[in-house]
Amino acid sequence: MNIQSVVGLHQFMKRVVVTGIGVVSPVGVGREPFWAALCEGRSGISRIEEFDTANLKTTIAGVCREFRAADFFDERELSRLDRVSQLAITATELAVREARLPDSQLAGFDTGVILGTGFGGQASIEDFCGAFYLNDRSRRSAVAIPKSMYNASASTIAIRFKTRGPNITITTACSSGANAIGQAAHLIRYGQAERMIAGGADAPVTQVVMDAWKDMRVLSTKNEVPQRACKPFSANRDGFVLAEAAGIVVLESLDSARQRGATIYAEVVGYGSTADAAHITFPDPEGESQAMRRALKDGGVAAEEIDYINAHGTATKLNDASETDAIKRVFGCRAYEIPVSSIKSMLGHSMGASGAIEFIATVLALNEKIIPPTINYEERDPQCDLDYVTEGARAMRQASGRRAAMSNSFGFGGNNAVLVAREVNP
Amino acid sequence: MSKEVRQPVETIEDIVKDIIIAELRVEPQQLQSDTHLMKDLGADSLDALNIALRLEDAFKIKIPDDAIPNFLTISDIIKGVNEHLNAN
Repeated sequence: MNIQSVVGLHQFMKRVVVTGIGVVSPVGVGREPFWAALCEGRSGISRIEEFDTANLKTTIAGVCREFRAADFFDERELSRLDRVSQLAITATELAVREARLPDSQLAGFDTGVILGTGFGGQASIEDFCGAFYLNDRSRRSAVAIPKSMYNASASTIAIRFKTRGPNITITTACSSGANAIGQAAHLIRYGQAERMIAGGADAPVTQVVMDAWKDMRVLSTKNEVPQRACKPFSANRDGFVLAEAAGIVVLESLDSARQRGATIYAEVVGYGSTADAAHITFPDPEGESQAMRRALKDGGVAAEEIDYINAHGTATKLNDASETDAIKRVFGCRAYEIPVSSIKSMLGHSMGASGAIEFIATVLALNEKIIPPTINYEERDPQCDLDYVTEGARAMRQASGRRAAMSNSFGFGGNNAVLVAREVNP
Repeated sequence: MSKEVRQPVETIEDIVKDIIIAELRVEPQQLQSDTHLMKDLGADSLDALNIALRLEDAFKIKIPDDAIPNFLTISDIIKGVNEHLNAN
């Protein structure tokens, strides 16, 4: 039974829009450089220079090289913040600045934070574990726990911007960022908050994590030309490229955004979340497709109205085949007509941040009416036979009155989160 | 260079100041004998714990939990370190 129709909840539902975007990514810091790089098809993947990679099979990653922590934090703040929090707070700072929200509106109980992260303060965890196992007292610290805990980023955002509404950290591996935005949108929709800072952040490019992935054999080993390593949907793909990033959106009720004359990038209309409940790492297309169906239903969007799908598209053999299958289950014959692209081909896979970063790209695609491409596509795979926008950025067609796009995120653990956004008429 | 090696040539005051400068990222001229870590230098309870940790390492002493609130001005810290050193 549909509870919304029973109690007439729809009439109380608020429409939710994106009014601020902040990105820290391997292709640049800030919305404009990020979007320009995606449209140019420019890769942010490079050789790892931060630590010794001699014992690794994969020596490349997506590192946010243009991010200068000193531009945003003083030394003392930095001593308290893991890199993941630095990325998350910076992205928030950029999003909030862009949303032109006055401090008086941002502060208080009407604004909350939901952040997704897969690895949390990983580098700090490694640091204090190292100090423990090596009995190195000089590296011991009273801030080891508050620096490395998974909710450190979300809590520090609240402290910095004085947001006293719900403060929640979601960790659902690679779907964390999408889950965070979906849950945040629902909080606004049902009146639990007037505006939310939502998104994802991850900084997992560490020696320990790279070494651990090695044994799972899911990372690309095409180290020779880093920019060409990640080949989503291409038959010669050999795995994903690990990356760090943070993507934050300011979500706000449409009423609030219109009242204050805010720039509206797009409307968040639908959110669907499911679990495969099958295998911890092996994807299940039924779980994935059900999340897509639920997101469409949640947003009152028909499958025929979707103009673009921003794929999870990791470039692993399993994901890309399973996602293609899942898209066909939802869209039937029309699956072949919908442009599907993976920006992981350029950014790598930033784990808990990826869902947020990709939602941002989806929103910008709607806003700019341009679809970012899948780069590095070389060989046709019979299992991956959709339109992957491999020729470069493309103008977005319009199937219905208002363009609509879907962003897929599927995580280890069998977590699936799908977001649907629509352009907003001026 | 470890603190233990430096101890014979550095006074207790030097070592205490070095620790505070490093932990709180402040300038040497900000430190007077009555400078209060929290009121004057903006330290918080976590900073106080880290400074206690470094003092314990540098002087090979144990600072009990209830003594930490007494380690908040330069002169009190030096006095406290001396007391602990003498007690040992």
